[in-house]
Amino acid sequence: MDNPLVIILLVVFGLVLIIALWYIATMNNLRQLEVKVSEADSGIDVALTKRFDALSKLVNTTKGYAKHEASIFENVTKWRKGLPDSLTIEQKQEFLGRMNEVQSGINVAVENYPDLKADKVFINLQNSINEVEAHLQAARRLYNSNVSTLNQRIVTFPVSFVANQIKMTKKAFFEAEAAKRQDVDVSF
Amino acid sequence: MNPIHAYQVKKAAAEKKIIIGGPLIIVGVLLMIALGASSDIWVGLGIALSAAGGIVIAIGFGGYQSTIKAFKKEYLINVIGEWIEEGVYHPDRGFHPSAVYACEFLPVADRFHSEDYVEGKIEGVPFQMCDVKLEERRVRHTKNGTQTYYVAYFVGQYYVLDFNKDFDGAVQVLETDRPRSKRPFKKVQLESVAFNKTFKTFATSEHTAFYLLTPQMMSRMMDLEKAHPGNLGFAFIDNKMYLAMHNNHSILEVRMFRKLDENMINEFKEDFRLLDDLVKELKLNQKIYKEI
Repeated sequence: MDNPLVIILLVVFGLVLIIALWYIATMNNLRQLEVKVSEADSGIDVALTKRFDALSKLVNTTKGYAKHEASIFENVTKWRKGLPDSLTIEQKQEFLGRMNEVQSGINVAVENYPDLKADKVFINLQNSINEVEAHLQAARRLYNSNVSTLNQRIVTFPVSFVANQIKMTKKAFFEAEAAKRQDVDVSF
Repeated sequence: MNPIHAYQVKKAAAEKKIIIGGPLIIVGVLLMIALGASSDIWVGLGIALSAAGGIVIAIGFGGYQSTIKAFKKEYLINVIGEWIEEGVYHPDRGFHPSAVYACEFLPVADRFHSEDYVEGKIEGVPFQMCDVKLEERRVRHTKNGTQTYYVAYFVGQYYVLDFNKDFDGAVQVLETDRPRSKRPFKKVQLESVAFNKTFKTFATSEHTAFYLLTPQMMSRMMDLEKAHPGNLGFAFIDNKMYLAMHNNHSILEVRMFRKLDENMINEFKEDFRLLDDLVKELKLNQKIYKEI
């Protein structure tokens, strides 16, 4: 053991081993974070689908009062049917934006119909949309939180080196309109 | 005559006896120490004075206790009924231990005490609350044998309120504690750094945590924490919100040698302000997510 060469080799081997273990641990950690982002992304899909279903029911109920919105919604339906299974975050944002557009239009249209606003079925539909919207906001915040954690990790040295090696890039945030950042309370 | 004044008169009389009894004991003991060696008469007199002092204190204390009990049962019950919608007050009743452990973060106590039970509605939201004291038994081994004593680890108020959102699983927001449950709680990091510094959040589902703890809700919980010093613990389980507030303070506590007057009554009223804050700040009165 007195041979300096052996000592140097052992130190080098030890260092290489430590670096290799750190590389594997970091890589696994990044992959786990990526899985969490994917899971949260699925949560957004579920919430968007529920939001769409709830809006469909609302559109059917208010068809006679909000014809223009019903026709816009028809377009959204067609657009949705033509979409591939996996949507990008930007496409999901666009999808949500169009649903919000229809929702806002209905809100304005029903203003002139107090009977409809007082209708129990309509009120229940509004409540269910509020609830679905709250779940969508929760899914969006969870997704963004996970994306933020992942993005912060992969831009920080030396983790950025591992991220580059495994070709992991920053994920896009799911942006919400300013109004949707508030508590959900669709009022008429 | 003001009904509070009548209780104050009785309370003051009882306190006077306690005040008289104390010096009698002291004089009796001093007589025994100073003059006991010279004659047995002084010893006898000292014992008699101390005993008399003890009896006077016991009578005074008994009178004090019965006055406070009468004040709570005859006066405070009616006043609380006026302050709170459908308000009911039971001075001697408390929560069953299972109701307190339902929050799933307070450790099971070796000695459990609960009193001053109040229930009612704030802005239509049903609530129950009371004072709770949880103690842990400790054993000390000394040369003279084994000593058992109790240490309180929770002294404060415990609240149960109906929650306005339907949700799956359970969420806990704690300042210092941790979940004590068989549920698969996981620590959740919310997007607010300040909130994560003040509270630790545990949830069976991350989604449920984000669903219940909206940015507004987090901000209001932080405000509550600032406005009501103490150690706060929130739990959201089965459409109920539990709040345990460890502040070493009892609600509706009538202190000895303090005048029982309108000021004290106002302080009692102030104790219920937290409930108002809870309901209004956390918007528990807005059932926007529930079916009508």
